[in-house]
Amino acid sequence: MAESQGRGNQTPESPEVKALAKKYAWPEKPALLSTRVKRLDGPDKVSGRAKYTYDINRPGMIYGKIVRSPYPHARVVSVDMSAAEKAPGFKAGLTYKEPGTQVMYQGDPVAAVACDTEEHALDASRLVRVRYEQLPHFANEDQAMKPDAPVVFTGGNTKMGATEETGSVDDGFKQAAHVVEATYSTQVITHVCLETHGTVCEWEGDKLTAWVSTQAVHGTKDGFVRGLNIPASNVRVITQYMGGGFGSKFSPDAQGLICAKLAQQAKAPVKLMLDRKEEHLDTGNRPSAFAHIRAGVSVDGRLTAFDGQSWGTGGAGATSGFPLPYIYDFPNRRRTHKDVYINAGQQRAMRAPGHPQGCFLTEILMDELADRVKMDPVEFRIKNLPPAAPNAAWGEYFAIGAKEFGWDKRHPTGDPTPGPIKTGFGTSAHRWGGGGRGTKAHCDIASDGSVVMKCGTQDLGTGTRTVVAVVTAETLGLPVSAVHPEIGDTNYPVSGGSGGSTTAASISPALRLTAGKALDALAAKVAPHLGVEASTLTASNGRVHVAGNPSKGMAWKDACKLIGTEPISVDGEWAEGLSSTGTSGVQFTEVTVDIETGIVKVKRVLTVQDCGLIVDRLTAESQVHGGIIGAINFALFEDRILDRNTGQMVNPNMEWYLVAGMSDIPQIDMHLVDSPVQRARGVIGIGEPPTVSTAAAIANAVRNATGVTIRSLPLQPYKILQAIEQEKAGGTL
Amino acid sequence: MGPKDDFPEKERFSVSRRDFLKTAGVGSLATAVTAVGVAEAEAQTGPRVVGPGEVPVSLMVNGKRLDLKIEPRVTLLDALRNRADLTGNKRVCDRGTCGACTMIVDGRTLYSCSTLAVDVEGKQIRTVDGLANGATLHPVQQAFFDHDSLMCGFCTPGFVMATVALLEKYPNPTRDQARHELDGNICRCGTFVRIMEAALSVKGVARG
Repeated sequence: MAESQGRGNQTPESPEVKALAKKYAWPEKPALLSTRVKRLDGPDKVSGRAKYTYDINRPGMIYGKIVRSPYPHARVVSVDMSAAEKAPGFKAGLTYKEPGTQVMYQGDPVAAVACDTEEHALDASRLVRVRYEQLPHFANEDQAMKPDAPVVFTGGNTKMGATEETGSVDDGFKQAAHVVEATYSTQVITHVCLETHGTVCEWEGDKLTAWVSTQAVHGTKDGFVRGLNIPASNVRVITQYMGGGFGSKFSPDAQGLICAKLAQQAKAPVKLMLDRKEEHLDTGNRPSAFAHIRAGVSVDGRLTAFDGQSWGTGGAGATSGFPLPYIYDFPNRRRTHKDVYINAGQQRAMRAPGHPQGCFLTEILMDELADRVKMDPVEFRIKNLPPAAPNAAWGEYFAIGAKEFGWDKRHPTGDPTPGPIKTGFGTSAHRWGGGGRGTKAHCDIASDGSVVMKCGTQDLGTGTRTVVAVVTAETLGLPVSAVHPEIGDTNYPVSGGSGGSTTAASISPALRLTAGKALDALAAKVAPHLGVEASTLTASNGRVHVAGNPSKGMAWKDACKLIGTEPISVDGEWAEGLSSTGTSGVQFTEVTVDIETGIVKVKRVLTVQDCGLIVDRLTAESQVHGGIIGAINFALFEDRILDRNTGQMVNPNMEWYLVAGMSDIPQIDMHLVDSPVQRARGVIGIGEPPTVSTAAAIANAVRNATGVTIRSLPLQPYKILQAIEQEKAGGTL
Repeated sequence: MGPKDDFPEKERFSVSRRDFLKTAGVGSLATAVTAVGVAEAEAQTGPRVVGPGEVPVSLMVNGKRLDLKIEPRVTLLDALRNRADLTGNKRVCDRGTCGACTMIVDGRTLYSCSTLAVDVEGKQIRTVDGLANGATLHPVQQAFFDHDSLMCGFCTPGFVMATVALLEKYPNPTRDQARHELDGNICRCGTFVRIMEAALSVKGVARG
């Protein structure tokens, strides 16, 4: 990945914008940036005052409920609403899938009702009589890939991608002293946003206001405009607070459009929040990943060849791509990927889409190859890295991490300690893009000194609201509390969805330059009173003053008194030079494995991670915690299980779909690389990188502990016991 | 992934029965049969039978009396969220697994998503909405804010209530005690590390 990625000159910037971006480059000695600023909306969230979409109660509001297919594949024969219409409290009903059309997965929406209470809506939804003609279905990849499988998906049950090839794989294997050949895999997991997907829709005439649990207010507005075929000026989307998205909440989805239609029909505001089962079935997932890999290594520990056939399922008609091989430099490589379609809900982006899968498949292989040439896994990795760059600094980070972690205490594969508890160390490397562009913002400064910064971004829990305040306050030389950020509303200037770790890098430059423009306007009013040129003025410590001479100036409040009745009101936008793209990181883990029960405990995780210029260190650290803990779930617990015969999800809840609790949390140490080189790159983003490596590093630590290679996630106890037994019997899984 | 609390047998029964009713309600026949069975069982052991229509329910929530008319099947969580606009505590798993709905009832933590409102009449119910004193946060809330023990914030109200209950039980908890008492709550953003920091930083919260 080139460092310049995402900085291509798509929209030519005017000389004025370029000059502004130069003038307002990030300060060398910031007052607020990279410090620990407490989350602005923390008090609202800890007190329960924060109103999420789920919490919006409107006058006269009624409740919607969707009727969903119980079958993984069927033709809808008829939809009979008559009994539902007679149910107590019934207000509206609609058919979403017309008779004759097909449902492609359990949970595919078919019809919907709205009633006066939530309980009545549930009752009425059960009275909607849908007749189905069941059709053949696939509950897993093997069923769909059978040569004699029926055609379930128009155009084929699988889709073969083009072969990616570099160098000569045949030559590479000729140079190999050792070859590893095995099949690796990762499971499907679901996002499990704690606030389920859903909306509250309210019409006033032909104007729609929608409170949506979304990570893209403007994108979701577009979705309503297209889905309902109404003018953009008639839709407003609001998301003041939202309870997690992780890549699954970018549009109104079926439930949003259904909610709007029910509200229109009932002439009343409708709340339609999905229940936990619907959330598992129909709001996205991380696709499975499988790869059969042959890889070669030379006698001196250099990778020589990689030949991989990969496949995976993103559900009913969706893709399943991921990078492979990951990070390491195989000079000769070939890879083909096949999308496999099964009758399950479609995949959506999930925190670093593709990377945790590609990372796991490659990193387990790397430890197997290292063992073949009897090299230390860190040394082996360093030897096979691509050239170092600011966004590819793994070699440096491996060295830092190994030292901080105490990697020299690692024993060779297989803990020789007697007793059932085995300890192991593992490591892994990862990369991510981040970056981003294209945000607009609006800043008002009034004569009372108040500052409002408006930006149509949203905070999905990363601390975006705080970032808005920090960047604005830094630029205006004010404390964070002096800035009032306004986000999460399509009435504010456009910003992109919060995905791909792009939010901080796309909003921060826009906020900086908008605030800078506002400060320039204020300076023009202040300059005559100081008898200086406006261009000599800057702001710091609550004063507007001559740069380099804080005493020649005036207090912020006094400066703002010169504004008069018409506030300073400026629009600004993102420009190049304040952000960048491309991050790199490595992780180390220590685990214990009880070889009698198969239970894995993660004891420690250390990450060495860069993310460019850190905006708020406190919330950045929280993002790293979150990424790592999310990946512990992926490594050990989470698994969407579909019954192989019926295609039904058997764990669509939170008691059998396992995620970590307090007892599962290891010690987490982090080394956020905050070097001059990284700071000079500007803002990049850190939401996704920390979640990529952890599962691979845990799996390698389990291998180091047990001496047994488990090539599939999750590392459930039964799998570990089975692998140990098979090893004893003379072969591995 | 651990049990919520050491509830007496009677209370545990009422929780699981309601859970069973909710999850078994796939076919109307099954629900009807189960409902009759429960009614009979209760008739023999004595508790009053109410409903199925709306009945008056009087709750003591955050020290204030709340008079509602709700169907007996309405949970404590839904009664407060949908009928009283007390939306601080969240509905997440809706079956007693994740703890986002955690309230403190007569001094003990309770999954309000799996408790019928009619079953807690006459009890002292505390929700996250009543914890702060105006603009002054409860020490636990302040600690969560100070330590950045939250991200999206959807699990936070439940964790705050569980932490309040922890500190009322053990004013100076050990890490193991805190881990045990907070194990009935789930966070998806991954704030556990800093929730633990916050829980261990608050000392000597008076029993409320």
